[in-house]
Amino acid sequence: MAASISGTEANTALIAAHKPTGRISDPIFVGLLWASGIFVLVLLGFIIAMLFEGGLPALREFGISFVWSTMWNPVTERFGAGVMVYGTVLSAVIAVIVALPLSFGIAFFLTEIAPGRLRRPIGVAIQLLAAIPSIIYGMWGFFVVVPLIAAYVQPPLIEWLGPIPLIGALFQGPPLGAGMLTAGLILALMILPFITAMFVEVLESVPPMLKESAYGVGATTYEVYRNVSVPYGRTAMVGAVMLGLGRALGETMAVTFVIGNATRMSASLFAPGATIASTIANEFPEASIGSLKLQALLQLGFILFVISFIVLALSRLLVRSKLKS
Amino acid sequence: MNFAPDTSIDIASAVNRATAPSSAPKLKVEKLNFYYGDNHALKNINFEIPEKRVTAMIGPSGCGKSTLLRIFNRMYQLYPGQRAEGKILFDGGDLLSKDLDSTVVRSRIGMVFQKPTPFPMSIYDNIAFGVKLHESLSKSQMDERVEWCLRKAAIWEETKDRLHTSALGMSGGQQQRLCIARTIAVRPEVILLDEPTSALDPISTSKIEDLIDELKQEFTIVIVTHNMQQAARCADITSFFYLGELIEVGASNEIFTNPREARTRDYITGRFG
Repeated sequence: MAASISGTEANTALIAAHKPTGRISDPIFVGLLWASGIFVLVLLGFIIAMLFEGGLPALREFGISFVWSTMWNPVTERFGAGVMVYGTVLSAVIAVIVALPLSFGIAFFLTEIAPGRLRRPIGVAIQLLAAIPSIIYGMWGFFVVVPLIAAYVQPPLIEWLGPIPLIGALFQGPPLGAGMLTAGLILALMILPFITAMFVEVLESVPPMLKESAYGVGATTYEVYRNVSVPYGRTAMVGAVMLGLGRALGETMAVTFVIGNATRMSASLFAPGATIASTIANEFPEASIGSLKLQALLQLGFILFVISFIVLALSRLLVRSKLKS
Repeated sequence: MNFAPDTSIDIASAVNRATAPSSAPKLKVEKLNFYYGDNHALKNINFEIPEKRVTAMIGPSGCGKSTLLRIFNRMYQLYPGQRAEGKILFDGGDLLSKDLDSTVVRSRIGMVFQKPTPFPMSIYDNIAFGVKLHESLSKSQMDERVEWCLRKAAIWEETKDRLHTSALGMSGGQQQRLCIARTIAVRPEVILLDEPTSALDPISTSKIEDLIDELKQEFTIVIVTHNMQQAARCADITSFFYLGELIEVGASNEIFTNPREARTRDYITGRFG
């Protein structure tokens, strides 16, 4: 009977009963958790070191100007990353510029306007879009989007915007279809589901009472969205856009199909270009081990890594400064 | 008069007893029924809310008092499947009429919620937000308006030096008074308070209650509360709701000292609820 045993005796009995399992298994468990945490750091460190070390000879050969030099000539073995860095950043920025308003619209429609019956099908459709492998976007882009753009989008744009000074330079050249603009558009479609899904989550997390208070002072649907829902989720939304941008920067297969793969610098959005990822995908098979080209490609990879890192850091910084204010 | 058969209550005389001289009804609810889908949440409510008085609505959870409050500023219309039948006369016009714009109704009948809901912007902008929706004021007029309503809400002294800092940095009690200021700022005629102190500490609560006393000089106030002492302290008129019906309404001192209905007595003495 409990009453016949004193409190301390009962406690010792309790501790003794639990001691073996707790004493042995818990440190192992904690050790495993430590190991998984450390593993991430080690992995990241190795990848950075490998890329940098592999590309170092190219950097030695061409100096720091490798980063912005627009020369890429495998025959004379003169390499520079300028064209690819430009193509990578430009195509990703086009993608975000196109995807952002669409994502806002879809996300707001889904959370505020769409009747319950429509919400699920559209939500599922967005998830399915995200699940399409990038090579399929690439094929579809090459066989469907490129001809369409060459036939119906580029000719009028060249005609209307081409003659305008300054921005006209963006819309010059023959309507080939494949080029920077098309790559940006395909990328926009690819990052759209990600950004939208995150926007939906953010908008759904806005407390109903907060929205009701805005409606309560006589705000319309748009005013509530503009002034309450979006500012409430702004930090998370910036994060979502940055993640989308990061994805667009590194996307390879779809871009390789539609960007035209020309390692020449051109101001026009219609001209074929190249991104870092597409160049690596295209030229890796032709680069023999130990060649300067392979080293240049590895160095390109390192630069892509750095760009992605900067985007990530920037998003962190933005999110944190917003939180403080 | 047009009252439900089981609640033949003479509001006019109740008001007379509470606060002479008597006051004209600001809101007049006639044969109101409300449905959440198939759920009949309010059953044939007939009810008058006198002008420039504090009217409390009490009753156990789910009795329909908050629902009624949300009908007054048409908040229910944001949600499909909720519908109201009957009439609510507001200065002679039917509040539930489709012809009336919800945003106009909500600017004339403001609402403060259970929890403080400051918008994610500065204190100043929290107030200016609602005002800008209905009026175009110059910078100096807006400054005046902001000061006016912050003073009305008894929070000017605490906020005047930090108007342009985020409202999210204030304490809960301050946030709730800011929300009241924000509601006053659009110069409504009626202020609806939905358990405005349920998330606040006793000191903040008593500040809000003092504020309610001040505000009834200028505004018609309807307050939903679970705190019966609060209803007794603040309200001129108290109404008791139970299971979607209005059981009893009358002067607060009558309701709390000498209720006519057995169910009202059981509730205020804590026998159920």
